[in-house]
This record gives sequence, C-alpha cells and structure tokens, in this order.
Amino acid sequence: MQQRVTTIVLLIGLCFGLSLLVSAMGTWRLPDNQQGYAPKQPIAYSHRLHAGELQIDCKFCHSASESSRHAGIPSADVCMKCHRYVTAPFDVMQQEMKLADKEKRKPEMIVSEELQKLYDALALDENFQPIEGATPQSIPWVRVHNLPDYARFNHQAHVTVGVSCQKCHGPVETMERVRQHATLSMGWCVNCHRDATREGINGRKVHASTNCSVCHH
Amino acid sequence: MTQIPDNSRTNNADSHGQPAVLETGGVFGDESSTINRRRFLEAAGFSISLAALTGCGRAPVETALPFPIQPVGAIPGRFQDYASTCAGCPTACGLLVGTRDGRPLKMEGLPEHPLSRGGLCAVGQALPIGLYDSHRLTGPLSAGKSSEWASVDQEIIQAFSQIKEQKKAVRFVTPTITSPTLQANIDAFLAQFENAKHVVFDAISSSAILDAHEQTHGVRVLPHYLLDKAKVLISFGADFLGTWISPVEFTAAWSSRRAPTEEYPEMSYHVQIESRMSLTGSNADRRVTIAPNEQHLVLSRLAHEVASLAGKPLENSPPLEGSLADTEIASLARKLWEARGESLVLCDSQDKATQVAVNLINHHLEGYGKTLDVKRPSNQRQGSDRDVQQLVEELEADQVGALLVADVDLLHDLASCQTLADAVGRIPLTISFSQREDEFASLAKFVCPDHHVLESWSDAEPIGGLISLAQPTIRPLRETRAVLESLAVWSDRPTTAYEALQSHWKKTIFPRRQKEASAQFVKFWEQSLREGFVEVEAAKSVVGDFKAGEVKPLAQQTATGDFSLILYTKVSMPDSRHSHNPWLHELPDPISKVTWGNYVCVSPSDAKELGLVDGDIVKVSAGDEGPQLELPALVQTGQHDGVLAIALAYGCKGTDRFAKIGPQWFEARPTVLENELLGKNAAAFVEFRDGAQQYLRSGVTLSKTSKRRDLATTQLYNSLEVPAEVAPHGAERRDIVQHTTLNAFAKDTHAGAVEHHFDGDTQLWPEDHPKTGHAWGMVIDLNKCTGCSACVIACQSENNVPVVGYDEVRRQREMHWMRIDRYYTGEGEDMDVDHQPMMCQHCDNAPCETVCPVLATVHSSEGLNEQVYNRCVGTRYCANNCPYKVRRFNWFKYEHDDTLQNLVLNPEVTVRSRGVMEKCSMCVQRIEAGKVEARSQGLPVADGAIQTACQQSCPANAIVFGDINDQESKIYEALENPRRYRVLEELNVRPSVSYLRVVKNRDEESHSG
Repeated sequence: MQQRVTTIVLLIGLCFGLSLLVSAMGTWRLPDNQQGYAPKQPIAYSHRLHAGELQIDCKFCHSASESSRHAGIPSADVCMKCHRYVTAPFDVMQQEMKLADKEKRKPEMIVSEELQKLYDALALDENFQPIEGATPQSIPWVRVHNLPDYARFNHQAHVTVGVSCQKCHGPVETMERVRQHATLSMGWCVNCHRDATREGINGRKVHASTNCSVCHH
Repeated sequence: MTQIPDNSRTNNADSHGQPAVLETGGVFGDESSTINRRRFLEAAGFSISLAALTGCGRAPVETALPFPIQPVGAIPGRFQDYASTCAGCPTACGLLVGTRDGRPLKMEGLPEHPLSRGGLCAVGQALPIGLYDSHRLTGPLSAGKSSEWASVDQEIIQAFSQIKEQKKAVRFVTPTITSPTLQANIDAFLAQFENAKHVVFDAISSSAILDAHEQTHGVRVLPHYLLDKAKVLISFGADFLGTWISPVEFTAAWSSRRAPTEEYPEMSYHVQIESRMSLTGSNADRRVTIAPNEQHLVLSRLAHEVASLAGKPLENSPPLEGSLADTEIASLARKLWEARGESLVLCDSQDKATQVAVNLINHHLEGYGKTLDVKRPSNQRQGSDRDVQQLVEELEADQVGALLVADVDLLHDLASCQTLADAVGRIPLTISFSQREDEFASLAKFVCPDHHVLESWSDAEPIGGLISLAQPTIRPLRETRAVLESLAVWSDRPTTAYEALQSHWKKTIFPRRQKEASAQFVKFWEQSLREGFVEVEAAKSVVGDFKAGEVKPLAQQTATGDFSLILYTKVSMPDSRHSHNPWLHELPDPISKVTWGNYVCVSPSDAKELGLVDGDIVKVSAGDEGPQLELPALVQTGQHDGVLAIALAYGCKGTDRFAKIGPQWFEARPTVLENELLGKNAAAFVEFRDGAQQYLRSGVTLSKTSKRRDLATTQLYNSLEVPAEVAPHGAERRDIVQHTTLNAFAKDTHAGAVEHHFDGDTQLWPEDHPKTGHAWGMVIDLNKCTGCSACVIACQSENNVPVVGYDEVRRQREMHWMRIDRYYTGEGEDMDVDHQPMMCQHCDNAPCETVCPVLATVHSSEGLNEQVYNRCVGTRYCANNCPYKVRRFNWFKYEHDDTLQNLVLNPEVTVRSRGVMEKCSMCVQRIEAGKVEARSQGLPVADGAIQTACQQSCPANAIVFGDINDQESKIYEALENPRRYRVLEELNVRPSVSYLRVVKNRDEESHSG
C-alpha cells in the first residue's frame, strides 16, 4: 500500500516537472545560458536602422574594438556627431518643413522623444546649448553580452584577425533591439577556436589557442 | 518526505534508516520492480532538478556606463601609462603610472629615468592602495570637526593677519622637499612674515653628512653617491640597498657591477661593517660585525691608514681595540687605495666628526668628482636637525605664533620630546596638511588635507640638474587641496598647482635648459611632461677646497649600560606616512621575514643568556627616567652581541583600524590588540645630541616579561644546512642556493655547480608535448637580487593578491604569489645570507598537474602551468605535491567589502573566491595582451615587449623573462650563462624558471653545496 502511495506521489512529481519543462520548452536552456536575452534599453536605439538601413560601420561607433579588450559603447557625444542635425525621424521633420513653408515661418526644431533622452544625458537643450546647473550623465545601457567574471574575451584579438562581428553577435543589422545571438558557452568558444585553427579565417592561417589561460586568468 | 523512514523500514533497514542497501548490493529482496530508497532518491532528484531547470531565471541585470563625453585618447579597457615621479619618499624615482579606465592601478619604474633606471621599490608599488583608502580625510577640519574650505580659509586668513600685526613667529615644518616649485612657493609664502622659517625635519635624517660637508667643503650638501663607479665599496652601517637615502638608485648602480661574465670575470668588492643585520650587509662580499660604539674608532683607524698611504699621515692615531685587527684595517685601506678613484666609503653615522673622517678618506681616495659628487649634489635629504632642535626649544618657550606641518607627523616622530604636545596645544594657530588625523593633526586647530600624490601636480629635483614632473592620474577622490594651492589662497593669490608649476618652470627651470632643448616653452614643457623628466644645467654651487686640517682623530666612546639600541627603519616602512598601507604591513621584512608590526631584534647569544625565544615580550628601557616600551623579541642571526634593534615608524595613530583585517572566524586573533596600535613607536628613544638626531642609544636595559605574542613570520626554516646527524655525506648543505667565489669563477665558470646523479633519460611521461610556438621562461640572477621585495608588492598589485592579516600569516596562510626565501649559512664572520625569489616554477613535468582530480591545473602549449580557478574544487592535492611550496589556497573569501578600496583591483585578473587554489601565472594576462598587441600589428612578439610585473619593477634588473624559443632573446642568452642552475633539479620536474649562481668576491675557493 505504502509503495503504491509512494509511486503515485513520485509519478505526480515527475509529471509536474515534465509539464513545467514542456511549457518552458520554447525558451529552454541550460542554467546561465542567456541566449536570446534582449533587454529593454534606456533609449530605443535600433541597430537595424543604423547598421542595416544606413549601413554605418560597426567600428564607427564601437571604435575601441580594434584596439582594446572592450568594443566599447559609444559615448553620447559620438551619437551627437550626427544627432545634433538629425533630431527626429525624416518624415516628421519633412512634415514640419512643409507646414512651416505653408505658414510662412521658420521651421521649429523638433526633437523626438528618444533623442531627447540623449540631449538630456549631455545636459544640452534643443539648440545645443548647455543647460545650466546640469551635468552630463552616462546613459545606463543594459549589458546584453555578459560573460562571467572568470572568463575574458578580447575584442582586439578577434577583430584584428578578421573575425566578423556577426560571427558572435549574429545579424545585428537586422535587430531592432539587440539580443544575445550565441550561447557564449565555453563549448561554443572552443569549437570556433578549433575550427579557426583547422580552417583559418578568411583563407588566412591562424592559431586560435585553446589553452585555458587564454580566457581564464 | 515523511515517507522515507516508512519506506526504509519496510525494507528491513536498521532503525537509523541505515542501509541494508550496502550489504545486499543495492537490491532489496526479490522485488526488483518495486521502488527502493535509491530509486526514490533518483526519481525525486530528477523531478526536482527538472523543476529547478525550468525555473532558471536570467542573470542579474548589469549596466554598462560609457563616458557621456569621451576624453581624447581614452580607450575603454586599455592600460595607458603616464610618466610621473614617485613621492613615496624624498628620493623621487621615476614612475610610470599604469591607468585603466581613469584609475591609476599599477605603479612601475620609468625605464628611461637616469637614477632609478626602471626600478621601483615596494613603497612606490604600494601607492595605489593608499589612494583608494576610505580612511583618508574627506575634507578640511576645523577644531577637529569637518568644515568647508571657504570657512576654514577665512578663519586662517584672519589668524595670519593677526600674526602679522603682532609680529609673531611662523614656522613651517616639512620633511625634505625635492620639489623646486613647492619650495619656491613656501619661501614666497613665508616671506610675508617678519619672523618666519622653514624647518626641514627628516624623521630619518642624514644631517651629520650635510654638516660634515659644510665643514670640509664649505657647502651644506649631501653628495650624490655614484655606486656604479665604485669598484671597492666599504659601508659603515649604511643600508644603501634597503633604506638609506636612495635605495632604488643605489641597488641599480650596485647590481650593475655584480654580473661577472666569462670574458670579464670582474665585480665590485663590497664590505659592510655594521652592528645589526641589514639588507645591505646580507648582500656584502664580506660582512664584519662590530659594536656600535666602535664605529668611529674603526673609521678613524681607516682614515689614518688611507692618509698614510696618501702620504699625509694623521697625527696621533688611536690604537685599536675591538673586533677588527689593525692588519685587517690596513688591508682594507690598501684595497681602497689601490682602487683610488674607483673606491668609496659610506657611513650612516649621525656624528659629525665621524662623517668628517669619512670625507677625509673619500678625499684621499680621489673619490670627489668620481665616486661621489658635491657639484651636482643630491637633494634627497636636506633635513637640519639643528633647526629641529631649535624649533623644539622655541615651541616649549611659547615663542611660535603659527605652526604649519606638512607630510610629517611632528608629534609621532618627535616622541622623545614629551612636553611637545602641550606646547603645540598652546600655539595660537596650528595647521596640519595631513591626509589623515595623525597625532599632530588631531591637536591642530585646522587640518587642510593635501591630495594623494597620484592626484596632484608636482615636480622634483632629486639631483642637481635632474628635474622630473609628477602629474595627476585621477581627479581628487576627496575634498582635498594641494599644499601649494592652500598657501596661495592664504596669501591672497589663488592659483592652481598646475599654473603655479608652469609659471615656476617658465621662470626658473626653462632658462636652465640645455642647448639642444626646444627654445619654445610649450614644447619644452610638453616634452618634459611626456618623458617625465628633463636634464638641465645644475644650479651653480660654490664648493670650497677640501679642508683637511679640520680632521681630528677620534677617541673611543665608552659604552654604558647593558645594551646599545639601534633605531632603524624597515625596508617596507620608510616613514610613518605609510603606516596605513596594508600591503606594506604584510610585506615580510627581507631579513627577519616578520610581517605586521615591529619587534626587538636580539642577538642569538644574548637571547640564549636571557632565555628569550621569538615572540617573548621584552621590556626595553633607557634608564629610570627615560623612555621604555614592551615589544616581542626576535632572535636575529648576525646581530652583534649587546645590540638591540627596533624599527621606527610604527605605533602610529589610527592603525588600530587594522584590528579586524583578514577573515574573522571563531579562532581568529586580532592583528592589533584592543586599545593598542600596530607596533610601538620607538621614536621616544631618539636623542638630540651634537646637533643631530641620534639613532643609536647606549645604556639601554632589556628585561623579559611573562607575556608572549607570536610574531607573524612567513619563514620558519632559516638554514640551508642539513642537521649533522641526518646529513648524507657530501650533502651537508642543500644546494637550493648555489655559491661560488670570484676566484673560482675566473678559473672555471661552472665552479659551484652541483653534480646530480639522476638519470635524465628515464621519464615518467612521454615527451609528446613539444612547444613549437612560444615557450615562456624566466631566469633570476641571484647575484644581483638583493631581496628588497619590490617584486612581491608588484605581484600583489598586479594580481589582486588579498591581504590576510596577522593571524593568517602566523598560520602560514599568506597569499603572496611571490616570496623571497632568506637562508643563513655558516656562523659569525663567515655567515652568508642568501635571498631567493621563489614563485611557481612552471615545471614541464609538473607534479601538481598529475594529482589534480578535476584538471584545474594543466600545462599550456607555451610551457605555462595554468591554474583554472573556475574548475578548482579545492582538494589541495596540488599544493601538497608541489616541491617548491608556491601554491596558495584561499581558505576564506577574503574581504572585498570596501568599495573604494576595490578600485585598486586589476580588472585583467580574476578575484579568487574561497576554496580555490592560486599561484603565480607568470602574469599570463600580460603575455596574452602582448601577443594580441603584436598580432594585431602583424608582427612577431618582440623580445622584451612582454614583461612580468616582478621583472618590470626589479631595481637590480635581476629578472629576465622571455620566449626560450626565440634564439635572439635575452632569456636565451641567460640560459646559456654558465652560472645557471635549476632548483631541485634532481627531481626532474624541469622548471621553466632558472637561477644564476651567487658569486661572492672573496679570496677563498668555492664552497659548493
């Protein structure tokens, strides 16, 4: 009798576990695997628009990727190189131009909601003048690709030998909001290192080391 | 879960639910289909882990904050070096500040600097932890309460105008100031007052040398000693490799003459005549111990002999009684005389007559202009003890209206004047510029904290004509203000330190430029700033002719009392300003190997007589009226009988903060006892005599108390000699450190080598891992290494080595990846001291690798022995199997709660957690960075482009690191050196680290190990 009760209890447990598993099947992953992670960012920046449609080179903004471990998130003043002129979507600006033309007045400066955040971060008003009493603040971007503290990835090492950005980051130029494309697991890294040593990168022979201390130190 | 007991009971387990399972091989009865205990646990575990897996959440959200406006040239995640000047002491060595993401992290020596030649001492290396110290003052204090700069300035300006009206005396006390700009600004500030004076107070003063030169040469200067020119060098007590005046420069110069080669089997001859065991003495070719009161007797005999050889004998020379026979002194004199023009005598005495005798010797040896220079003198010690003595008298007579003190704790370092604190309390205006509430600051009316040296603009002229710049590498972390700026505000000429510096350079330094320098100031300035230093014409000094007539032979001083007490400073603690630096406190003294605090060094036979062992607390007193203190004793081999030695710069106010440093577990003992400070202040024993502070005090008594406090020592084995009863024949001395003499070396460059009777062909492992790419290796020249321990702190700073505190060190759980083993061999006069840096040897046949059950320590294809922290489970098998004992285990999760202090951590190196083994990685982060840098330029890794932290900072240039496979490299050349050997070679573990044999410049043949 007792055994039967136990069996039933265990079976219920098993079914419960399996049912949870099935429901989570769509996003199933091993612990610490953050694949697909696409957090909301403080500014709704679109890589699809900038890297895809406008064809801006990745390294224009992530300029440290060739010279440092970090690719670097561009500082707000880099964004301002363009956005001091481009302050709102093209059609909105065009509409305002037309309207101003009709009403025979100077077109007003329109700063879109998202770009206003950029101006706020730099403590600038819409005429590009510093706001008194305010200091520039960093934009708290949410990290998407986050390796554990005991693993080190060096952008310079990969970018300078010709590994494309998309190899690890996926088709960023199609992503409205950036998501983690690869698993970033150790097996994934090591497999690529082995393939690169065997097949080379862009036809060039490379030695992608698989020594532990290359990444763990 | 209540089902478990029921379940097991049905299966005839015993009443404790204990397993019939083991006895029956895992099957209960014949019903194999029924659910037994094991199955239950399996299934339950599976379903729970399934639930757990599906419930896995996302990692915590982390933000990445870029600069709002990125400074030009700043690249996130990349080290950037700035040339600067170290201000850890008045020596002013060249500094290369490694900053990353706006934080200064790693201090290195400036390779091009003419004095320090790329070396940097432990104190310089430890600067960053002082910068990120959360105990520094956050702003100015007024009457002990925190205040605003504006209100403090207003009050001070008011007080100064009163002083001007009443024509009261103003006294400004600083230690030696090498900065010409600060000096000029202090002078300008004091010029406003009618009775104002700048008093230079060095807690460790060389006043007598300056006074002696005033007598013999007519200028009160400290000569610049050129040790690299000295073939024969006799030092009387001067610890020039450890603490005396400019140790980094002297180590670099001294070691440049300590590398005999096959073609030129020559090196300098260095004799140390001293009473206590100093670092310099431990490196000498010949070390003679004398009683401290014999020093000037021996010196005047030597002066007599040298003068006779020069044909100008002194009148009435005293006979010699003591440890050195007349014949020996004559032979030393002959050696000096034969090498005249290339010989030098140094002395640390604070007795002017003794120093005059030293000057006479150096004069007869034709040293002036060759081995020591008074025309381009050193500015590294300017203290005038006469002025200090006068100041004390004025203070006690209430003649001072305002007292300003910068960079020195007047009350701590002048503890011998007991009434001084009361006198200071009576002064109408007292201002301290201290960064923390030291003894003087806590009494001062105002505390106007100065910047940390890494936050401030400054300059330095350590040697006449050599000027270096110090630049800030971080914005001030606290509401502090440079001394110079404070003075400017109070003189109603507000300026920034940067402007003051530039205007002073424009006015006085730029006109002194050399011909080839740019004629445009901006270019001159920018070049000096980029390079860190500039050589200009030395200020003209009027050096008089040597006045030999003033030298009189000296009579022997009679000793009174039981003991003579020598007050010295430890290599790790040059003055009380560094008393809040935990890295320096945990740095083992190069000789005693003791950390955390000071102690009384007693000679072995005195200790035997008094029944003292290490750690017995003894009471040292100078008469009934005189000062006394209680400290643990340390039996110091090599110390002269009847001598005690205590380190100064301990017992500083506020050091009780270290009471709870290190892991706090139930058996932990505090680093600092309750109501006590770290160590005891021995400055009370310093006397003013003959116009100089005397660091030698006779008439001291020593008594044993019943108390004990174990010393936190990192080394418990001191000898290389195997006890006679167990020593195998022919191996009485372990050959861990191999020795030879210069004579033997000249005959046979392999002299001193030890034959190993092992079969190198028999291998436990197949030779199937060729190193075709890089193969990293290291060679350490033990003949150059002085044991100064700069590398230990360099490693600690680079590799995030935690501070563990007194109790953990006492339990032999210190975490330093690099240690310097110190061994004594022989006894008395024939005693040798060896220093051997020891860290992971990166063995090719590593014993640690074979025993790791989880492959957490493995061999890389480049010959490195890697430790993978995230794999390690902490079995400690590897540490047990390591013949070099270089592995360190994280017994605790060492504290990283102080978020400000955490800024000192190097982001390139993982901070290890509890239960993980760690050890020297040969700075693999630097190797990887160097490889990436070379590869991205499409070039092979250049020899010397990758330097380990220990190698970079070594003042003696004793460490060579590089790629063994590169036949053009320095390491390849070093491996061919006939002096090369490997430690414990007989084990055939094939270390990648080699050592070069010690060569002593002696007459006798080699005593091989």
